[in-house]
Amino acid sequence: MATDSSPVIEVENLGIRFRRNRKSRRNFKDLFAGRNRRTLSGEFWALRGASFTVGAGEAIGVVGRNGQGKSTLLKLVAEVILPDEGSVRVHGGVAPLIEITGGFVPELTVRDNVYLTAGLHGMKRAEVDARFDEIIDFAEIRDFLDTPYKHLSSGMKVRIAFSVISRLEEPIMLVDEVLAVGDKGFREKCYRRIEELLAGGRTLFFVSHNENDLRRFCTRGLYLNKGELVLDASIDEVLKRYNADYAEV
Amino acid sequence: MTAVSDRAILPRIQRYRHSLWLLARRDLRVRYSTSALGYFWSILDPLVMAGIYLFVFTQVFNRNVGETPYIVFLLTALLPWMWFNGTISDCTRVYLVEAKLIRSTKIPRTIWVASLVLSKGIEFIASIPVLALFAIFTGATLHWEAVYFVVAIILQAILTVGIGLVVAPLVVFFRDLNRAVKLVLRFLFYASPIIYGVTDLPAELHVLAAFNPLSGILSLYRSAFFPNQLDAFTVLIAAIMSVVILAIGVLVFRRTERAVLKEI
Repeated sequence: MATDSSPVIEVENLGIRFRRNRKSRRNFKDLFAGRNRRTLSGEFWALRGASFTVGAGEAIGVVGRNGQGKSTLLKLVAEVILPDEGSVRVHGGVAPLIEITGGFVPELTVRDNVYLTAGLHGMKRAEVDARFDEIIDFAEIRDFLDTPYKHLSSGMKVRIAFSVISRLEEPIMLVDEVLAVGDKGFREKCYRRIEELLAGGRTLFFVSHNENDLRRFCTRGLYLNKGELVLDASIDEVLKRYNADYAEV
Repeated sequence: MTAVSDRAILPRIQRYRHSLWLLARRDLRVRYSTSALGYFWSILDPLVMAGIYLFVFTQVFNRNVGETPYIVFLLTALLPWMWFNGTISDCTRVYLVEAKLIRSTKIPRTIWVASLVLSKGIEFIASIPVLALFAIFTGATLHWEAVYFVVAIILQAILTVGIGLVVAPLVVFFRDLNRAVKLVLRFLFYASPIIYGVTDLPAELHVLAAFNPLSGILSLYRSAFFPNQLDAFTVLIAAIMSVVILAIGVLVFRRTERAVLKEI
């Protein structure tokens, strides 16, 4: 895979903290406190001090156990949460396959939902028109165009959502473990679609627990442990280290 | 600030406008596709309220406030009040209702408040024909001051976005706040010149009342039929207050945005 020298994602000393306990007391003062305040006792760093750059066309897999900051990192790159420390620079648009069904409205028809979600992710109406058939055919949902979204089966819901987001013409793809849902056949179809996009020069940022998937798509790995970026190397090295760390568990 | 993407400004504005429009349309569609009476509901509420006040103040009490025809006097303030009231009460839920979408798209987070103001604003404009009908039936005369309607709409939009940007994020942290907001809205209904006019207040309350920006805004709407409701001082204060409140809103929003995104 050809790797361009110009970075598309630049992450510098990235850090974000969360409250440990959702119920811990909050007052107006610490709500308004700027981002430079010291860590309060009820808080922990979900991610801290992470720095790396991603070149155009790279396929990166994020590896780590549950709760080590993988999804947090992905959300920071998607800019749907904001860091407390450091910065994320993303050059170019992002197609976030995170909570893909989030924008869909139960009461509206499949057709309306496709235009709405694609539009909110930055597609113009004419672009959606041009890709509409492709989107519907990929999701195999042509008979349900005018059915309210809430009446679709859960498999169909995920299919149409994936279909819309994966048709966004953005240079960067962020994939969280969305593909765990749906039947085997469709999952394979999604994977083929991701490979197609990768071959077309997209940049991939992929979070998964599945080793096979990671090896299939990614060339480079980021290993997160306790909110720290422990290793940034080829995916094979990263997986080896990860397996070694947790071999006895 | 921190998350910087180097896209040009112009496409960003276009995208914001496009998204704003999509969301307002979505809200209206959902509201009207799920109810059989649709549009009728959005005008029924102010009409019933107007009917009640009309009965109370013309049949039960002897009305010595406001102007005649009283129904037109009431509706010129009640319809904009519905816009204000509806938007602010929806703002108390907006970040919870839209949480999933906020977690998956990076549209500027002010849009959730702005799209509410827009969709409720469209409903308000759609209710103006009702006012016109009543004006025709009661023989109220329309004055050139009707052009102030546009000014009033702009000021009200500024004010409502400002308050929304304060209320919406704070409710995420202090859930009780939505009850407080309800109470304040009820108080504000009587503290604003809706069932009475700005000129009906005792002289010593005049200056104080002007600091409620709704006084000036509602008197602008009213001047279309009742030009002597217009009071330059009140309107000026309302304009200043609206802009100040918007500035406060933007400030509060900016300071709380990071924490809101973590919380939802």
